[in-house]
Amino acid sequence: MISLYVGSTSGYSGKSLVSMGVGLRLKKDGLRVGYFKPVGILPIKVENILTDKDAWFIYRVFELKDNIAEISPVVLTQELTVRAYLKDIRGLLRKIERSFQQLSQDKDIMIVGGSGSIYSWSVLGVSGLKVIKRLNAKVLLVVKYEGEFCVDYILQAKKDLGDHFIGVIFNKVTHEFRQSVDDYIVPFLKRRGIDVIGILPHDPLVGSITVEELNEMLGGKVLCCHDRLNNLVERFLIGAMQVDRATEYFKMTKNNAVIVGGDRADIQLSAIESGTECLVLTGELYPSELIISRAEQKNIPIIVIRDDTYTVAKKVERLSVRLRLRDKAKVAHGTELVMKNVNFPLLYKHLGINIS
Amino acid sequence: MLDNFFNPKTIAVIGASRTPGKVGHDILKNLTQYGYQGVLYPINPEAPEILGLKAYPSIMDVPGEIGLAIVVVPPKSVLEVIGQCGKKRIDSAVIITAGFKESGSEGTKLEDELVKKSKESGVRFIGPNCLGIIDSHSRINASFAKGMPSEGNIGFFSQSGALGIAVLDLAMSEDVGFSKFISMGNKADISDEEIMQALAEDENTKVIIGYIEGVRDGRKFVEIASQVSKKKPLVILKSGITSSGIKAASSHTGALSGRETSFDAAFKQSGVIRVQTVGELFNYALAFANQPLPQGPNIAIITNSGGPGILAADACDKLGLQLVPLHKEIVDQLRTFLPPFASFYNPVDILGDATAERYEKALYTVVQDDKVNGILVLLTPTAVVDVEGTAKAIANIAHLIDKPILTSFMGRKSVESGSKILMKYHVPNYNYPEHAVSSFSAMYKYNVWIKRPEKVYPHFEGLKNKVNDIFESVTEEKREHLRETEVYEMLNAYGFSQPRSLLARTSEESVAAAKGIGYPVVMKIVSPQVIHKSDIGGVKINVNTEKEVENAFFDITSRVKHVMPMAHINGVMIQEMISGGKEVIIGITRDAQFGHMIMFGFGGIYVEVLKDVSFRIVPLSKEDAHEMIRETKVFPLLRGVRGEAEADIEAIENSLLILSQMALDFPQIIEAEINPLLVKKRGEGVVAIDARFAIGGD
Repeated sequence: MISLYVGSTSGYSGKSLVSMGVGLRLKKDGLRVGYFKPVGILPIKVENILTDKDAWFIYRVFELKDNIAEISPVVLTQELTVRAYLKDIRGLLRKIERSFQQLSQDKDIMIVGGSGSIYSWSVLGVSGLKVIKRLNAKVLLVVKYEGEFCVDYILQAKKDLGDHFIGVIFNKVTHEFRQSVDDYIVPFLKRRGIDVIGILPHDPLVGSITVEELNEMLGGKVLCCHDRLNNLVERFLIGAMQVDRATEYFKMTKNNAVIVGGDRADIQLSAIESGTECLVLTGELYPSELIISRAEQKNIPIIVIRDDTYTVAKKVERLSVRLRLRDKAKVAHGTELVMKNVNFPLLYKHLGINIS
Repeated sequence: MLDNFFNPKTIAVIGASRTPGKVGHDILKNLTQYGYQGVLYPINPEAPEILGLKAYPSIMDVPGEIGLAIVVVPPKSVLEVIGQCGKKRIDSAVIITAGFKESGSEGTKLEDELVKKSKESGVRFIGPNCLGIIDSHSRINASFAKGMPSEGNIGFFSQSGALGIAVLDLAMSEDVGFSKFISMGNKADISDEEIMQALAEDENTKVIIGYIEGVRDGRKFVEIASQVSKKKPLVILKSGITSSGIKAASSHTGALSGRETSFDAAFKQSGVIRVQTVGELFNYALAFANQPLPQGPNIAIITNSGGPGILAADACDKLGLQLVPLHKEIVDQLRTFLPPFASFYNPVDILGDATAERYEKALYTVVQDDKVNGILVLLTPTAVVDVEGTAKAIANIAHLIDKPILTSFMGRKSVESGSKILMKYHVPNYNYPEHAVSSFSAMYKYNVWIKRPEKVYPHFEGLKNKVNDIFESVTEEKREHLRETEVYEMLNAYGFSQPRSLLARTSEESVAAAKGIGYPVVMKIVSPQVIHKSDIGGVKINVNTEKEVENAFFDITSRVKHVMPMAHINGVMIQEMISGGKEVIIGITRDAQFGHMIMFGFGGIYVEVLKDVSFRIVPLSKEDAHEMIRETKVFPLLRGVRGEAEADIEAIENSLLILSQMALDFPQIIEAEINPLLVKKRGEGVVAIDARFAIGGD
């Protein structure tokens, strides 16, 4: 049995995406694939069993049948966090190990999903590093590429992980960065004995958010078109210009949501006519009936938010770095992105897998 | 007050001109031709004589004293002229010259310097950028308006000079007299409030009307308007209430145009009669200037046709006036001379063939009814009607009695002569019956206003000291909101009862707290990042068992972790659940012009959509609190519908007054809201369930 730990040097780098893509490929190649998330950070209850929301999602994507209670043995509820700070909690690492043993019994390979960075959660004695060593896992680092400085973190991880470390997958690499990644970063890491196993380009659809999630995150109210809350928003635009410029501006970007003050009927109409995915109205100002009925005709959901435009924009900005893969269309697209851009022969070689 | 403006013995026109068509010429001409008895000094450095008057190169060369200076020199010279006025001991000036604040940043600077200069020189001034002033009694026309209104008792001040002149022109065509007209211009020195006060003291003025686009000091406005409105009716047209209007007004004379709600509240509180159109301004002015006030809401209508009578009756109903049934004796008397087909009830329809005599008799009979507080006489110009005779008959009776009579001779061409007669004898005539009715309504409401007792402003002393240190630490820490615990202390200090609550950090603590408080409980997230808790699912109500408390703790905290992963969670507040009662919202907001205002509205999830809220400016009187609750549409729900018990309305009133005190005690509150305030049955009080306080700079 092989265990592959998908970790990273920072949070929200695309670990779940890579775990899903790699796992599905392994399944396709005939291996019995399991999924395990030692430390969950998004507590939910499934059939009254505490687990992690992401783990539960991947569990279903992989069509697993394991005991739900084992897939994420340590979940950081508020309760646990408070208790951990108030007095030392022991035995969590052992709990992780036991669950892992249970789950891995009938598997060829276990994908172990990290949360946060490989250094997170040492407060509870269950940092990624410790878990990796205890489970004797091989480590694939997913790194969101935002510039050369990330190389330092990779080198540090290599030092800390030693032989466990098998390579890096760069994620969200934009056109602008691609050339320098190919020309400098990959050869440099190669010289230091680190393989770049995949380079995933930045992809607007993967980075998109459904209107429903958006509304939930912003604490808004949906005014119309409840059946269109699965619309995917890739870009956000602020409607603050003169109305004569608005329509052309909105039309320049696809799959956008327009953030605009609730009292700017002119801009709202322009956004609706330009076919936006969602109208985000700010300042807790409700639009006129005219706007709502026009939006209904064009099937464009409207949400109303209490905050002002700038605050909403700020929140949205932060949202985009912590998006989660939940939507079906996004998952299909995302895993395909992984399959296409990861060097599987190289990965298999590192893992010692032979596909005949 | 402002005596030299309206009754000067001598006037200097600084910048007088020999060239007809120039402002400096036209003003001097206006001063010469309407019978001003004082001495005029044209000031012009080049001309020895203008319009037959000896001119002087500068005011310093004028031998005697000067009462009033009219300044028409170019903007750059205005400062120097005001300096000279000071030296010459002229204390009053009207600055006609434009090119100040209204023209941009250069002008604004110049205006600031002008204000400084005038203070140093001891010269008070009206303007700049105005059209001048008129006093029809002292026969001063120091304006470049065409013509001169006749002597009358309407005092008129207008931020827009041009609008003022248009109204005067209309008045002249209808023989309506004015006492004074003041074009306020940029109001750089003499303010609306000072003019209102001057007009209130002016014995020639019976009604004050004004057009404003904005006020400089909202508080001051409310204070002065309240005093003035007790003495004389104060009718104001305020423009710039729509967003397009605001934009236009702000650029017009550089005034900051306030919010509609704040002006609405300010006018209500200070007894200002607010009109929405120039037509109404004029109509109301006519009624107030010429007729006594109705002592009650009961109106009788006399008409020679059915349709207009019904229209007038409808209008009365809408505007809070009553068509009182006439006394039996009166009806019997009417029967003795009216044709049998006539209608003897109110409206009294004396039929299309009514003669002047029938009008006279009917009117004379109806005014005898004690219950009738005012009479509206309608006339449609049928072929047989004697317009002039009827007008004279009405005028005769109006002269004898102390009840108001308004008329509406409908049409124009054939009633014009009658209208002139009526106006001559001070009976206002309106083209449309609705206009007469709305004027009646304004008079009635004004009578209610002056009759009501002095407002009572309750004080709640000594509460402030208990929470002073909270505000000190807020200022010190430069925070924008009060913390949960501070809100609790604050409300507690001001006597609000609140649900018992305890902060729990874990589910174990939650269970213990719930047990201590007693089931059922409400649970709420406590996090500095979460301001609107229910928006993100941070509130659970009606939690009944230990198990439910544990689950709720998990759900609430996990929910916040999902939606706002960066938020810090302090814990969960376990709160006594108060059931029954009705939810309302009360709050404090701060307006740029009027300062703190108190808000009242009905609670619940539809509050934003219904927008059923009322506002009053701080300080709140008992009467204000009383009225603002009653003016919302949902007030009947508090009274109780279909057998429900009445809610404790008095406790809401008291809460509003306490909020007003809070705003006075802590001016740094920018916004506060108790939402919901749970109102229990009458006598059982209110409970503040949740509240927020936002704190600002000062």
